[in-house]
Amino acid sequence: MLLSELKVGDKAEVTGLLAESAVRRRILDMGLVKGTRFKVLRVAPLGDPIEIFFKEIYLTLRKNEAAGVLVQKTGEVGDRTPMGGRRHRRGFGS
Amino acid sequence: MTAMKEVKVALAGNPNCGKSSLFNALTGSHQKVGNFSGVTIEKYQGYVDYRNYRIRFVDLPGTYSLTAYSPEELVTRNYLIEESPDIVVNVLEGPKLERNLLLTTQLMEMEVDLLVALNMFDEVQAQGIEIEVKQLQQLLGCHIVPTSAKKKQGLEPLLDHVIRVYEGDIEVKKNKLAFRPEVDRAIEEIAELLSHEPELDKYNFRWLAIKLIENDKEVYNVVRQYPVWVKIELALRNVMQETETVYKSDPEIIITEDRYAFIRGAMQECVKLARDKKLSLTDYIDLVVLNRALGLPIFLFVVWVIFHMTFTLGTPMMEGLDYLFGVLADNVGSFLPNDTLRSILVDGVIAGVGGVLIFLPNIVLLFIGLSFLEASGYMARAAFVVDKVMHRFGLHGKSFIPMITGFGCSIPAIMATRTLKSRSDRLATIMVIPFMSCGAKLPVYVLLAGAFFKPAAAANVMFGIYMLGIFVGLFSALVMKKTFLESESEPFVMELPPYRWPTLRSVLFQAKVKAMMYIRKAGTIILLAVLLIWTFSNYPKNPELDAALDREIASIEQTIADRTEQETAIIKAENRVSASQLEYSLAGRAGKLLEPVIQPLGFDWRIGIALVTGLAAKEVVVSTMGTIYSLGEADETSSELKTILRSDPAFDQATALSLMVFVLLYIPCVAAVGVMRKEIGEWKAVAFYGTYALVAAWIFSFITYRLAQLLL
Repeated sequence: MLLSELKVGDKAEVTGLLAESAVRRRILDMGLVKGTRFKVLRVAPLGDPIEIFFKEIYLTLRKNEAAGVLVQKTGEVGDRTPMGGRRHRRGFGS
Repeated sequence: MTAMKEVKVALAGNPNCGKSSLFNALTGSHQKVGNFSGVTIEKYQGYVDYRNYRIRFVDLPGTYSLTAYSPEELVTRNYLIEESPDIVVNVLEGPKLERNLLLTTQLMEMEVDLLVALNMFDEVQAQGIEIEVKQLQQLLGCHIVPTSAKKKQGLEPLLDHVIRVYEGDIEVKKNKLAFRPEVDRAIEEIAELLSHEPELDKYNFRWLAIKLIENDKEVYNVVRQYPVWVKIELALRNVMQETETVYKSDPEIIITEDRYAFIRGAMQECVKLARDKKLSLTDYIDLVVLNRALGLPIFLFVVWVIFHMTFTLGTPMMEGLDYLFGVLADNVGSFLPNDTLRSILVDGVIAGVGGVLIFLPNIVLLFIGLSFLEASGYMARAAFVVDKVMHRFGLHGKSFIPMITGFGCSIPAIMATRTLKSRSDRLATIMVIPFMSCGAKLPVYVLLAGAFFKPAAAANVMFGIYMLGIFVGLFSALVMKKTFLESESEPFVMELPPYRWPTLRSVLFQAKVKAMMYIRKAGTIILLAVLLIWTFSNYPKNPELDAALDREIASIEQTIADRTEQETAIIKAENRVSASQLEYSLAGRAGKLLEPVIQPLGFDWRIGIALVTGLAAKEVVVSTMGTIYSLGEADETSSELKTILRSDPAFDQATALSLMVFVLLYIPCVAAVGVMRKEIGEWKAVAFYGTYALVAAWIFSFITYRLAQLLL
C-alpha cells in the first residue's frame, strides 16, 4: 500500500519508491529508504500534509508526495508492536 | 611575532544541526555576511586567531545531501570544488546521527580533508545515547571532535584538530564507501576514463563517476562537453541495465541505499540508543501546537502577534523617523538661500533618503519576529499547518507569512520570501505580495471612501478593496503556477526540527543583516528612482508662472488691506501656481498623455498625475491631489480636499471606486520594485510583473467603473 493511505497511529515499513526526480531524491535524502520503519504521528489540522516519525526525525509530507512511497503496514494504534527493531522501541501514542 | 598562517575551513552540515551556532561560537564578532555569487543565499564568513593561526571559517548553507536539485546543495558542493578549502568540518547533530551521516558519506566521496564535529554532544549524553567515537573514526577515516555550540564545549579541541589536520599531524584516511559490485565496477571504469581528461583535474574522478551514475544533471552537463563522454555514456547505459536486471531498481536509488547501508552498519557498531526514551519536550509542545483543533487558531494567533509587533510597534517609529526627517528638511531648507538647490536637497535628497529609511523599523521588527520563529522551530510547523490552503493556489505553506506581511508593507514581505527554497515558489509569492493592500495605500482609500460614501458604506468599500486584493493575488498565483511557473515546485517533504530557545544575539544579528541588506542594495535603486520622480514633478519650470505669481502677489498687497485676508489670498494664489506648475512639469504632461488610456476608467489627467507621482509612494497620491486641486499640502483627513473632490463634476462614486481599485492593483512603489529586483535578481521578471499589474489594474478598474455607473 501507499504511505498516503495509512492512518494516524499506523506503523509501517518502506518497501519501495514510486516518486520521481526531485521528490524521490528528497525522500531518499531524508532517510525514507527501503527498510525504514516509521509511525504516522498526525495529520495537519486541515487534513494535509501528514507527519511521520522515524530515527529521531519528525518528517512532514503532503499526501501527494506520500503517495510516492510504497509501504507495508506493520502495526497500528494500541497493538504495542514496536515501530522499529529492538533499538527503536518507543512509547508513542498508545 | 611571526606572520600568522591562514587556514581556510568550510563548515558543512544539515539544516538545524547547530552549524550556525558553532560558527558564531567559534568566530565571535569577527563576521561578515555576503552572498554566494549569482544566488540569494547568504554567505557567512568569519575568523578566529588561535595559536598563531588565523582560521577563516565559511558557514555553508545547511543541506541534507549534495545533489543538483537545490541551489543550497549546488552552492555547497561548488564551493568545495572551486574554493578547495583546506579543511571541511562536517557538523553533525548528535541525536540524529544516522540521517546526518548521509552528508558525511557524500563528503567522503568528494575526498575532501574532513573533520567531524559531533555537535549537541550534551544532548546526546542527556538522552543516554552512547557513541563509540574511536570506532566511528575508524569507519569514517577522519577524526571526530565532540562539541556543544550551545554550552561552548569542545571548541578549543576542534580548533586544535583543525590545526593538526592542516599541519598533517592527523592523516585523513579518505576511506572509500563500498557500493554493490556492479556499481563499484562502473565507478572504477568511469573514473578511469575521466582521468584521461586533464581539464577535469579540479574534480575528484571517483566523485564525478558516482554523480554520473546518480544521474546528476550538473555533472552531466560538465562531462558531456568532452570527447570521453561517448565511452562514458556506454558504461552508464551498461550499469543501468545491470542494476535493472539484478535489483529491479535504478542506480540512483541503489547508491543512496548503499550509503545508508554503510551508515546502518556504522550505527550498529558504534552507537547504542537509549532503551526507553520518554516523550521529549518537542513531543509535548506539538501535541498542543499541531493539534487538529488548536493548530490553526494558534497559528493565526502567532501571525497576529508578529503582524502587530511589526506594524503597531513599527508605525510610531516610522512616524518618528518621518518627523525627524521633516525637522532636518526644515533646518537645512532655512540655511539655503538658493531655491533650486534647496528644492533638490530638501524635497529630493532628504525626502528620498527619508523615504528609504523610514521602512527600517518595520524591517527590523519583522525580522526579529521571523528569525525567532525560524530559530525556535515554529516556522516549519506554521508551514505544515497552513500548507493545504496555500497549496490550493499553487503556493507553499511557507508562502503564508510573507503574504500576510504584505498587508503591512511589501518590502519586508518580499525580503521574507527567502525562506522559500524553490525559485518558482518564491517568484509566485513575491508577485502575490503587492496585491495584498499595504499600509501606504490606506490613506487613499480613507480619502476617497470618506469623501464619497457614508461611514457605514465606506467601511464596506474598504473591506471590499482588501478582499479584491486577496482575490486577485491568489488568482494570479494560481494562473502563474499553472502556466510558466509550473516546473520545479518545491516538494513538500520537510523536517520539523525540535523546539529550541534561540539566543537573543543570533536573532538580533539576523535582523541587522536584513536591515543592512535593505539599506545597501535597495537604497541605491530607490533613492535614484525617488530623485527621478522628484525631477519629473518639478521640471521643466515655467518661468512665466513665477512671474505671474509675483505680479499677482504685488497686486494683492496693494488691493487688500487686511493682513490676514492678504495672507490667505497669497496662499491661494501660490497654491494655484503650484497646481499650474505641476501641470506644466513632466509628470503633468505624462498625466495628460495618459488621459486617453485612463479615460475609460473615469480618470482625467489630474488623476493621471497623481498615479505617476504615486509610484514614489502610494500615500503621495493623496498629497498630489491636494496640490492639483490648489489646496497646497493636504492629507486624507483634509475635509477641504473631500469637499472639493465631491464638487468636482469629473469625480463621482464610480470614479472613486475605480481609482481605489487602480491604486490597489497597479505597480507598487519604487521601494518595493527595488527590493523586488534585488530579490528576483533580474529586471525581466520585474518588468513582466509591472506590466501584469498595470493590465490587471486597468481591467479591474474598468469593470468596477462600468458596474458602479450602472448600479449606483
